[in-house]
Amino acid sequence: MDFLSKAARKSPWLYRINAGSCNGCDVELATTACIPRYDVERLGCQYCGSPKHADIVLITGPLTARVKDKVLRVYDEIPDPKVTVAIGVCPISGGVFRESYAIEGPIDRYLPVDVNVPGCPPRPQAIIEGIAKAIEIWAKRA
Amino acid sequence: MTTETLWTLATVLVFPGGLFALVLGLALKGVERRAIARLQRRIGPPLVQPFYDLLKLMRKRTLIPDTANAFVFLAVPVAGLASMAVAAGMIPIAGFFEPSPLLGNLVVLFYLISIPAVSLMLAGSASGSPYGAIGFSREMAIVLAYEGPILLSLVSVALYAGALTGQPVLLNLTEIVRYQQQHGAFLFDPWMWPALLTYLCFIPANLGIAPFDIPEAESEILEGPLVEYSGPPLGLMKMMSVTKAVVVLGLGIALFFPNGPAGLAGLLVFIIKCLVLVLAVSLLKAAVGRMRIDQAVLFYLKWPELLGFAGLALAIARF
Ligand code: SF4
Repeated sequence: MDFLSKAARKSPWLYRINAGSCNGCDVELATTACIPRYDVERLGCQYCGSPKHADIVLITGPLTARVKDKVLRVYDEIPDPKVTVAIGVCPISGGVFRESYAIEGPIDRYLPVDVNVPGCPPRPQAIIEGIAKAIEIWAKRA
Repeated sequence: MTTETLWTLATVLVFPGGLFALVLGLALKGVERRAIARLQRRIGPPLVQPFYDLLKLMRKRTLIPDTANAFVFLAVPVAGLASMAVAAGMIPIAGFFEPSPLLGNLVVLFYLISIPAVSLMLAGSASGSPYGAIGFSREMAIVLAYEGPILLSLVSVALYAGALTGQPVLLNLTEIVRYQQQHGAFLFDPWMWPALLTYLCFIPANLGIAPFDIPEAESEILEGPLVEYSGPPLGLMKMMSVTKAVVVLGLGIALFFPNGPAGLAGLLVFIIKCLVLVLAVSLLKAAVGRMRIDQAVLFYLKWPELLGFAGLALAIARF
């Protein structure tokens, strides 16, 4: 059984939530999947379309007031065990949008954040390192 | 139970249906993902990645949406996988395996092959999600478009093989394979090329491979019918689709190029042929983008249909 659980931990599927990001972080996320130089698929990852297929959720953006309820709803749809990675400075501090009237963040007021990848936007290498950390955490939880 | 029934059951559950088809299908899927990554100059996942994915899914939580019809939602993946296990048990491997006549002939196989599409449609509509509903309608459209050509292709082969063996029509897959073993494969017979091309056109649509992966387009409609699935039922769906790949490729091999040496080498040759087909399919997948559903339906109603009729006409002309 131990062998089986070890094997199962090698397949973390990723899901992106855009919580009102400026799209900078999302473009960097796309580079980790689409550009030959940075390939997350070699870690066994796969970007999936549906939140119900996901294991690791990547959140970008400062959590705007408009999108808050939707983000929380989508987050609840991800089956346990899951790991949350906040991409960019926005989810943690609000980044360039800090103190705006339209911002409900920081995101950890509503969701448990396990890993943060700082940067505005962070480099793809940093994002992949964050995902690798998240995989370690996920392996402990699964 | 007689020994024959038991043996038939074994062919469906262990070899070449069920277990063998599943393992082969997962391995082919791994090769496909790796090949695509290499074509895009990435490193790609390890070859055994699909096995990891399946194990992971089997250990995840199952969520059933409130809006879903729970019974249909959970029964459909099982039905799809079961139909594919039976279908895989009906594929002859030249020189190595002959399917049990109890399972039926080409007509039964044709119906079995359309069950996964029906499962996906039911899954999409039972999940109660709007994305599932869109996936359902797209799947329906594309099935209606490719069902005609594939039927024409199968009928052409059956009629042609019948004409050559002096029967009106030859529906027994084992005998079609045996005839080709003795007289040369249909692959090298120009009379059969239209039917062969039709079959090749059918493969990407049935397996959901670009440019025809429209019903499960994950970047537009979040994998359509699969959107609400999670955990073990999703795993069953994935098992269904990899087994379907083995069935569809295996049937193509049996119909057009089954030749191989006797014994274990025959099995090896079969696997190598599957690999070659999968590499070709990966090349297609890596090279093209996704079509719109109306373009795909029009395409299938035009060219493969035309080729299918040409193939049928040639087969009839042989009488
Ligand atoms: S961290 Fe910077 S790049 Fe990322 S969403 Fe915020 S503002 Fe945009």
